[in-house]
Amino acid sequence: MSVQTFFRMEGISKRYGGVRALENASLDVSAGRIHAILGENGAGKSTLIKVMAGVVAPDEGRMTLDGKEISFGSPAAANDAGIVCVFQELSLIPDLSVADNIAISNPPTRFGMIDRAAQRRIAEEALRRAGAEDVHPLALVKDLPLSRRQMVEIAKALARKPRILILDEATSALTASDVAKVFAVLKRLRSEGLALLYISHRMNEIAELADDCSVFRNGRHVATYAAGSKTDNEVVELMIGREYSSVFPPKPVRTDSAAPPLLECRHLTWTDRLNDISMTIRAGEVVGLGGLDGQGQRELLLAFFGVLRGLKGEILVEGKPMSISSPAAARDGRIGMALIPEDRKTEGLMLPMTVRENLSFASLDHLSRGGVIDRKLEERKIEEMVRLLAIKTAGLDIPVGSLSGGNQQKVVIAKWLMRGPRIILLNDPTRGIDVGTKQEIYQLLRKLSDAGAAILFYSTDYDELIGCCDRVLVLYDGAVKRELVGDEINEHALIASALNIGDGQSVSAMEAAHG
Amino acid sequence: MSDTTLTGFTARLPKFVRRDPAVATAFACIVLLLLVGSLYSPSFLKVDYLLQQLKVASFLGVIATGMMLVVLLGQIDLSVPWSVAVGAMMACAAAAYGPLGSALAVPFGILCGVLIGLVNGIGVAYLRIPSMIITLATNAVAQGLMVVYTGGFSPQDSATPAMRWLATGFAIPGIPNSVLIWALIGTGTVFLLTRTRFGRSVYGIGNRERAAYLSGIDTRRIVLIAFAICGGLAACGGVLLAGYASKAAQSMGDAYLLPAIAAVVLGGTSILGGRGSYLGTIAGVILITLLQSILSVMQMPEAGRQIIYGIVIVAMLLLYGRSPASR
Repeated sequence: MSVQTFFRMEGISKRYGGVRALENASLDVSAGRIHAILGENGAGKSTLIKVMAGVVAPDEGRMTLDGKEISFGSPAAANDAGIVCVFQELSLIPDLSVADNIAISNPPTRFGMIDRAAQRRIAEEALRRAGAEDVHPLALVKDLPLSRRQMVEIAKALARKPRILILDEATSALTASDVAKVFAVLKRLRSEGLALLYISHRMNEIAELADDCSVFRNGRHVATYAAGSKTDNEVVELMIGREYSSVFPPKPVRTDSAAPPLLECRHLTWTDRLNDISMTIRAGEVVGLGGLDGQGQRELLLAFFGVLRGLKGEILVEGKPMSISSPAAARDGRIGMALIPEDRKTEGLMLPMTVRENLSFASLDHLSRGGVIDRKLEERKIEEMVRLLAIKTAGLDIPVGSLSGGNQQKVVIAKWLMRGPRIILLNDPTRGIDVGTKQEIYQLLRKLSDAGAAILFYSTDYDELIGCCDRVLVLYDGAVKRELVGDEINEHALIASALNIGDGQSVSAMEAAHG
Repeated sequence: MSDTTLTGFTARLPKFVRRDPAVATAFACIVLLLLVGSLYSPSFLKVDYLLQQLKVASFLGVIATGMMLVVLLGQIDLSVPWSVAVGAMMACAAAAYGPLGSALAVPFGILCGVLIGLVNGIGVAYLRIPSMIITLATNAVAQGLMVVYTGGFSPQDSATPAMRWLATGFAIPGIPNSVLIWALIGTGTVFLLTRTRFGRSVYGIGNRERAAYLSGIDTRRIVLIAFAICGGLAACGGVLLAGYASKAAQSMGDAYLLPAIAAVVLGGTSILGGRGSYLGTIAGVILITLLQSILSVMQMPEAGRQIIYGIVIVAMLLLYGRSPASR
């Protein structure tokens, strides 16, 4: 491996305030190889990449490129040295064309003005290398679906002629067929001699793609090994530093009760996104929503929560029809509903506000008398929640945005649990968070349902649906295509019904595409 | 990324300074201004002068309080000039209707401001019109209504004795009443912002309206109330000003729009909403008042005053630096 190493990081440390983000970390990058970086959220992966990409300066340590010591004052300096990063969050400007976006940092000019023809050539070349020839360079980014945008993002990185390409969770927004395409592109880039750093929480992607793997934990480099030399369980143990027993808590045996379902909907219809959906959830039940991304799952959750205007159909709580006109009505005591939203950064939390303010924000009506907040009661409730969810924070008065992703998600869940909801809707609550926290969330869900809550759970991760849910409703084109109960919930059935095809043929092909 | 690195020096500063460097900067600038002024004339450090300045500041202070609430929401209220004038003129107009009118002059003036604020609030919260547009429009409408009412001339009614007492009297010897009123409104606002559901909701909406809405906050009602308070406080400032000058005037509010916004922003309240403390607004108000006073004492011509005034505001905003981007 060391033969081709051309970029090396040694003894890199970085502190934010009192928090150690990186401690004596090291990494070797070789040309023509795909190097996966693994670790829980908060393990220091992001900081490591930011140091490489010149976004943050390390406190200690050195980096060498081709044997010469270097340091980057800015992301532009790192770009010039050939290190380019595709970040998790999209960095495209929606109102500009694809070509404008690709050439944005260094557009070709003629007589001081942007040379549109040259820019288009550059964009076409980059899109071709990224395997996204179907994207028109003059299309506006805002008109593209999310997965195409991600491809443009990769093309934009390639247009900068990188020697090292870093992909940080770059596939989390992609559909299975796009992931397969991206993988083909990445493998071709590898054969062209690029060094690729690949960060993902999806183990199967890493198994398929990586040549080398490095594991980080608590800001330290724990191990580097050749891909395939360790089992999944061993890798996870390295990542969380403890024995990784069964991920999902056992499901209780269901007994049918005569009580009316806690939550029921009849013939829910909303524009062309929801199409005559009827379903029930009983107390103590975890019901999953499956299917391909964007088949109406999010809209269904929002419909229950009173967000959608012009909704047709009926929603019943404990058998009684309810009109839920806003989240304020949905969280009200008679209904007792909570929604853990999809995007914790824009929908779940106020990032610059403190952990304290965020935790109590959804329960202010319970915590105040005559509009005045009872600070002792607030303090007590918050402590209870921090303990219950084991939220790791340096204090209650720091901005919630400075917590790691997993802990931020715990805050979102905690702020709703503080109300003691009876009906809990979750919109992909484990996206982009680490294995350890995921496991805690699964156990929490089971505990809540055992205590009598009705849980409706949308996940893009099939393993979660299989491991957590008593029943799974598979949505396709805004309608329930299939209901899977108990042992019927397996990957094969989930994929088959998600694609709206019969149980038999061509499923194995789709499974292969899924990864 | 965090900016909470505690070096030895900053760790020893009082808590509010560490949390809010903008407020500290504003107070430091106040001290600096006074020192510079005292080089020019020692009377700048006399108690009389300072109390007089505080009295002048209290009018701006009352108006800026309402502006701060709206700015915290990430909105802006450009109808302040004519909300001030409407408050003043309507209070004086009520005074013309006998003893009952005199008695109700102050509440009536403020009520008219609240009505303007309600129109703004309905426009912003329920009709989703950008606040910059709707408040500019209500400002124009209010101006038109007042011109119709007065026929375009300076209004003939004068302030009631009660209004004069509120603005210039001394309920506690040595401390002007208008300063007391500002202190009262300020205390109420601090309580509102830090201890109540309404206050938390204001900060929440200012930071991320979507998250606040999905948390079950009735965001539209909060926005409506904040605009109503802002209109009411602007009118309240107008009532005090009318009492101070003994009568209302057509364009008496024009001089308060930019200073009110500048005071709020100089005090460290983010113009994008969600961040800021009332202590900062107090500092901003005093700072602006002192700056205006010192420039006029130095007998700077009007043009020069405006230029320096603008430059100082820009310079101080640069001093604060831009806030670190949140993740």
